[in-house]
Amino acid sequence: MTHETDICIIGGGITSAMLAQKLSELRPGVHITVVEAGRSIFDVQNRGRYRERANDYGEHPWHDDYIEDQQASGIISMTMAVGGLALHWGGACNRFSEEDLRLKAMYGLAVDWPIAFKELERYYCEAERRLNVSGAPSQYSEDWRSQPYPQPPIPLSYNLQILKAWAENSGLKFDGLPMARNLTPYGGRGACCVYDTCGEVCPSGARYSPDFTFRQLMEPQKIVLHDRTLVRRLVLDERRPDVVAAQGVHQDRPADPVEYRAKTFVVASGYCWSSHLLLLSSSSRFPNGLANSSGLVGRYMNGHSFISATANIDDQTFPGQNMTHSLISRQYFRCATDKPFVRHDTRVWESSAGRDPRLRTPEGKLLLGDELMADWRSRTKGSSVRLRAYVDVHPSADSRLTLDASKKNRYGDPMPKIEHRFDDATRARQAATTAHVLNVFGTLAKASNGRIANSSESDYLDHPGGGCRMGADAATSVCDSYGRTHDHANLFVVGAPTTPTGGCTNGTLTFVALTLRSADEIASEFPTRR
Amino acid sequence: MQRRTILQWIASTAAILPFQRLRVLAQPRELTPAAIAMLHEISPTVLPASLGVERLRGTVDKFVQWTRGYREGVALSHGYGHPRLQKTGASPVPMYVSQLAALEAGARAKGGTWSTLDLETRRALLDAAFTKAGVRALPPRPIGQHVVADLMAFYFRSSEANDVCYSAMIQREVCRPIAITVRKPQPLP
Repeated sequence: MTHETDICIIGGGITSAMLAQKLSELRPGVHITVVEAGRSIFDVQNRGRYRERANDYGEHPWHDDYIEDQQASGIISMTMAVGGLALHWGGACNRFSEEDLRLKAMYGLAVDWPIAFKELERYYCEAERRLNVSGAPSQYSEDWRSQPYPQPPIPLSYNLQILKAWAENSGLKFDGLPMARNLTPYGGRGACCVYDTCGEVCPSGARYSPDFTFRQLMEPQKIVLHDRTLVRRLVLDERRPDVVAAQGVHQDRPADPVEYRAKTFVVASGYCWSSHLLLLSSSSRFPNGLANSSGLVGRYMNGHSFISATANIDDQTFPGQNMTHSLISRQYFRCATDKPFVRHDTRVWESSAGRDPRLRTPEGKLLLGDELMADWRSRTKGSSVRLRAYVDVHPSADSRLTLDASKKNRYGDPMPKIEHRFDDATRARQAATTAHVLNVFGTLAKASNGRIANSSESDYLDHPGGGCRMGADAATSVCDSYGRTHDHANLFVVGAPTTPTGGCTNGTLTFVALTLRSADEIASEFPTRR
Repeated sequence: MQRRTILQWIASTAAILPFQRLRVLAQPRELTPAAIAMLHEISPTVLPASLGVERLRGTVDKFVQWTRGYREGVALSHGYGHPRLQKTGASPVPMYVSQLAALEAGARAKGGTWSTLDLETRRALLDAAFTKAGVRALPPRPIGQHVVADLMAFYFRSSEANDVCYSAMIQREVCRPIAITVRKPQPLP
């Protein structure tokens, strides 16, 4: 079966939702088709029950949101459904800073992004508006913003008020984390009721979720969504380097291939499946896959590592007030150019770590009934504090996504394998970076008789991106700053895969901002219809 | 199909059915009245007796409801960072029934019923049962290792127990206006 459309968007996550929404506004007459391998999970009315069962039985609240034979080695989430990983994101909406975009110019490290921060900032504002972000302006003047947040900040819980006062004794300034969480109903979604399961499932829809956007676009037929349809390859015109079709298969009709013919193709499949699709689309003319004349598709896979710790302090909090909200300091987004390079955010959460009920005393005696409650209560004086720093680390060219011939899906396509590697400079400063972060945590802990109880370092990179990095030079990048691939004028990649480096704070807002900028460029390909 | 053919087919089918499945089919799908009675008898020992008779009874009743709501073969949370697919296992109910019967038998062997044994004897019985079941810590929620550990997890991991512990209305898992959270939690009534 063949479908004709103007713009074919491959992938159905948050960047796809934002792109489809904006394009439908900019060019209402243009036919947009979104193709997603996973299924639609639009039963909002059941999410309260799913949350209860997740709490009570540990059940996954997003039923069948994965495809068992379509999994990658080294991926951070199994989810493959309409909405993507943003079905169960926490809603954190931090901006990167100017330093992220100018690492080479300022520090001689990694690579500069081919976009000025002032330009990106405009799209941050738009992303915040579309996601209805609730936030307080940063106390650091370097974190200027041209427009206020669309919502006031999430009120700090009593616990976070206590922890903010504690943390600011260190001299760092802390603000509540900006989040895509409705304080009042907005965009067909409810207000926050502090279910405290943002990262699992939000029954009220207060935490932004792309499935709402897709439903709102589909019902008035602003877009067409084909779910459960896996695009397996992109096909080029026989003579020109333009993509003419995306070929795939619907889960229920494997013997009846589906083809999408479009003027413009946008790969919005996230950090893993975007590179994967380009590599799978090899042909005799492009034996290394599409958009890969630089040989960089699937390279420079990035993200940030993180260091976590638990502090114990004497100030009293009451764990459970609003555990999914937190504080952030952007003090170490900056780094003096004449000092050793280290950049990270600093986050603070309420916590009950080490103060939870326990079955046995340290001596091994079994605790029962009132004894157990008394033991628990005796350990609740003071507070635990969860600390974490996302650390700016830079990928080497060998930080790769490759096709793993030993693991194939039901159609015989090799699955991706992701292996992150740091560049030489990152590896050289790793010990000093860890020492710096632990010193910051130690400085924080000093107030209120605090001490660090434990710490750990990540064994994976969070908020991953890369694989199709953007740049001005076609020899050293896959796409330009709009995501247009250097090799194929009508093929775009948007969001996380295009990032050259992974920053030192949550990436989703940046992925969305970049995508909204791509939307302007993609729309310019289509004349406004009167 | 002739009657003999049908019987032969039934016999051959039965022969290839896994023995385990036949055994499971014969097992209780719900806690028996005797098992529920034993849970009620044990509850003042393992849950805070200070809750009072009514709340103890209510907690056991909710736990029994929990066993009825258990579903087999459902995907568990995949996790993040290093995700993996896991599914809920077989219903813990048959094992719960036998574990409760074993505790009752253990009490009888000590010369009484559960309620008439002194606390240290009850503790020793549970300690041995937990060790046998591999229970080393309070489970994060009922996970089917041992019925008593699961009952304890059911209560002590709850939002209600958290409030009792802190003597404050934190209401961790209760849908509530966000404005409430900015104030110090009220003391429990």
